[in-house]
Amino acid sequence: MTTEIVGGAALAPPTAIGGRRSARLRQLAPFLPAMVIIVGLFVVPLALMFVFSFWSTNENLDVVPVWTLENYQNFFTNPTYVRTLFKTMVIGAGVTVVCLVVAFVVAYFLSRYVSRRWARIALLIIIVPFWTSYLLRVYSWQAILGEHGALNQVLVGLGILREPSLLFVYNDFGTFIVLAYLYIPFAALVLYASLERFDFTQLTAAQDLGAGPVAAFRRVLLPQIRPGLITACIFVFIPILGEFLTPSMVGGAQGLLIANLLANFFKTALIPEGAAVGFLIAAFVTALLIVFRRYLRVQDVVVRG
Amino acid sequence: MNRLDNQLSRRRFLQASAAVGAAVSLGGITAACNAIGQPAVQGGTFNWMTWGDHYIDTQLKAIEASDKIVPQISELAGNAEGFAKLKEVKGELDQMSGDALWVPDAYFAEGLIEPFDINELKVSSQLYPFARQFEIWTKPEGYLGYPFGWSPISIYYNVEHVTPAPDSWAVLLDPKYKGRIVIENQPEEIVAYMGKASGVDDVYNMTDDQLATVKGLLEQLKPNVLKFAQQATDSVNAMTSEEAWLITGNLGNEDRVKDGGGPEIKGFIPKEGTVGWMDAEMIVKEGKNKSLLFPFMEKSQQAEYIAENFITHGRPLFNEAAYKILVDKGEGDRADRYLYNKAEETLAKTTLKGPGTSTEKSIQLFNEVFGA
Repeated sequence: MTTEIVGGAALAPPTAIGGRRSARLRQLAPFLPAMVIIVGLFVVPLALMFVFSFWSTNENLDVVPVWTLENYQNFFTNPTYVRTLFKTMVIGAGVTVVCLVVAFVVAYFLSRYVSRRWARIALLIIIVPFWTSYLLRVYSWQAILGEHGALNQVLVGLGILREPSLLFVYNDFGTFIVLAYLYIPFAALVLYASLERFDFTQLTAAQDLGAGPVAAFRRVLLPQIRPGLITACIFVFIPILGEFLTPSMVGGAQGLLIANLLANFFKTALIPEGAAVGFLIAAFVTALLIVFRRYLRVQDVVVRG
Repeated sequence: MNRLDNQLSRRRFLQASAAVGAAVSLGGITAACNAIGQPAVQGGTFNWMTWGDHYIDTQLKAIEASDKIVPQISELAGNAEGFAKLKEVKGELDQMSGDALWVPDAYFAEGLIEPFDINELKVSSQLYPFARQFEIWTKPEGYLGYPFGWSPISIYYNVEHVTPAPDSWAVLLDPKYKGRIVIENQPEEIVAYMGKASGVDDVYNMTDDQLATVKGLLEQLKPNVLKFAQQATDSVNAMTSEEAWLITGNLGNEDRVKDGGGPEIKGFIPKEGTVGWMDAEMIVKEGKNKSLLFPFMEKSQQAEYIAENFITHGRPLFNEAAYKILVDKGEGDRADRYLYNKAEETLAKTTLKGPGTSTEKSIQLFNEVFGA
């Protein structure tokens, strides 16, 4: 269809071409603010970071615009970075799975068994933590999981532990728990929006037609809420790749993630070195989004949640 | 909502926006006219990048009330970051705080700061005489910064759990203290501490061989580190709650832990030597409001404020007159314990913080050990 119009336009008089162009420009005009934001706040900084990543820093901490692959070489030849990136992805994937499972159960229950009014109140309760600062929420977990924290006191009080344990915080476990806590609301909101539109009588119909509960769930429900599941994955997994504060505060010296190593470069003004690591993370995220895009249409997110 | 409703609400929205915009513009113009009509006031605002312990709110409020000088403060995280920031924004800052060798070797060498005659500031007569003559800050063009505070980095230990009493960096590597150490989150400094532990003197300019030795020590240190403190108070809190038995930090942590209701702790300067800092207020060469800095320093560096700063933040400062006030206020013993009167000899034994040739390698090394 498009080819025909373009082909037709090629033969049309110049005034008609001009008219179509201006019509097309008018159509594109509403997208201009979004384009400015995307180009100005995303594409340009990313391009700058990309350029910087091929430069180096001298002893005076000046950025020297001499092209080099050394920063990337350092990343790939030093197994720590690759291992830490891998560890970050594993923790991110694990947290995403936990968030999806917990959020799904909550959203399923609310959308199927609770009236819309009460479901909204429940959702409000889920998002209440967002009203307090992120920092405060992570700090409060220090107080819960710490050696003298609430969890240890309860476990010692119940006689389950003889003495307070250091295992709950300042390690990967602590990071995992707190990240799951922080991101469950995102997943819950997205999944609820998906499930709210699902007609649950379809599950009954499937079972009437001989499908077991698992098959009905897998072949009827899951395909219809797939966009919600993928969106929830994006909302949880991708931000975790850049998580810096939570691992700093509850991961301790043993629970650092890739963003913590990246931050060490910027703290010492080693900008090109940090830019290379940052760009690699950004490239990975972009690749991931491209993969997700295969399974996700924009209208799925916008219309179906 | 149908299409008509949409259009109407959009129109209403635009009308409301236009009304709000007009009101704001009118308000701005009126305010500007009023400002023009008023006589010029003394004072003004200037931009100061500094650490949170370089001022106290009551001091700033008092100066604002008396002199109408208001600093717009941005938090300084570290020397390298501050240096990089100033290079980027230059004249957008007027006053900058910086440490020891960062002042001459980075800020002055890059032409970012303006030397001045410290004796032009009357308040400088309150400083210890040696503080007005630090060789590293003396240039033919003038003095590079107004001396403020200082401290060597010490190790503090919980006397009940850490026995026998340590005297060396080696205590941080002892497997007995697995998960019991908290160190401030400054990778380059942690590498420097391990440099000291291995006997290196110039820890900011280490050779590859020295760094290889340091790597071994960092690997021993890693399992012992519970967490990296984001700020000094995190270390103190960890010691107070006895989560940590060993921390590194500035002079004065014994009292901070005690004041917080924590256990008895003691501090020591490791026998292998340590790193130290002494900071100064620098005048940014291209600062647009630097005319306010001398009047501000005349007030803000007065002994009364410096004594108050000592009581609040608890680490030694270079103001001798403030020491006398502290003695009068019954804080002399505390000041003596924090070596307030012994800056010259204490700092002479430390490696002063400064930019180095091994910065990048130190960070790579730190990441290599503390990454996964």
